Amino acid sequence: MSCGFEEDLTAYVDGELPPARRAEVEGHLGACAGCRATHALLRNAVARLAELPAFEPSANTRRAVMAKLDALPAPWWERLKALLRPAVLVPSVGLAAAVGVALLLVGPGADAPPELADPVMLELAANLELVEDYEVLGLDSAEDLEVVANLHELEVGQ
Amino acid sequence: MSVVDEDSDAQAMLKVAAGDRQAFAWLFDRYHASVARFAFRFVGDRERAEELTQDIFVKLYKNARAYKPTARFKTFLFRVATNHCLNEVRRGEYRVEHTSSETPEGEETGAVEMAGPEGDRPDQALAGRELERAVGAALGDMTERERAAFTMCRFEGMAYRDIAEALEASEAAVKSLIHRATLAVARRIEELQAGAAPARSRA
Repeated sequence: MSCGFEEDLTAYVDGELPPARRAEVEGHLGACAGCRATHALLRNAVARLAELPAFEPSANTRRAVMAKLDALPAPWWERLKALLRPAVLVPSVGLAAAVGVALLLVGPGADAPPELADPVMLELAANLELVEDYEVLGLDSAEDLEVVANLHELEVGQ
Repeated sequence: MSVVDEDSDAQAMLKVAAGDRQAFAWLFDRYHASVARFAFRFVGDRERAEELTQDIFVKLYKNARAYKPTARFKTFLFRVATNHCLNEVRRGEYRVEHTSSETPEGEETGAVEMAGPEGDRPDQALAGRELERAVGAALGDMTERERAAFTMCRFEGMAYRDIAEALEASEAAVKSLIHRATLAVARRIEELQAGAAPARSRA
């Protein structure tokens, strides 16, 4: 059948057609026996599907999920926050300063270490942590990384 | 779903992103049955559906910071669920267990075995199992995207627009997917009814 209406019949049954197209389909159904038969077939199927028993997950599912959350490592931003606590950061900056002074005395080499307190370096460190997290989370394939990347794009009104 | 519900979902998800486990538990209680139904229809197996449901919610928790409050939460959740089910099936972690058209009649697959309500008459229970098997066979023969779109539409009552967002597809593409899938199921049910009619008339 190729009368140009068949593909709209399911959307018609589901109430998903705009009013103008809906009126066209209704007009066509009066004239096309083939589409009337398909329409009846689809309506019957949708009604029969409502007879199927609903799948109910076991009560264990919630407990299992919460246990898995308990076993997760702390996320990278919490680890970073912990690193930025004064108790950790101040000695680190002090150590960096000491290393910097030592390097100045010895003279800058080609492989001089970066300033630990440099915000750019901290951001880089945070990003490196994020990359590591993908592995921790089991996101080791290109597909998974793509999924995570695409999650950012989901916005209403697109 | 009302705007208030959508706002509550979005607010809860923002709290989850900040590490609030109570907010996560609230969202879990609201949506885990929906996700489980989706996973069950996707893979056709009860145990695997449970495992997939757990994985999907753990993934949701871990990726909570990727959620933007401008997105409808349910659409976001079903996008995570669809991607996870597709990845797992393609990776070979889960085989789709629906009885396909290639499965010899009467062969046990361990899939799609749900009892009807207690107290059903045996002939009603048999009819329910036959209907389940017919729908399962049609689901098994569908493409993954048809199965995902059909399941969201028929078992979750999601609008075409929301399904399109979840599948990252156009509404026209979703309309086409749902039509093909529904027609395939309708033909299976028609065959079932045609086969059952003589048996009923003999009874």
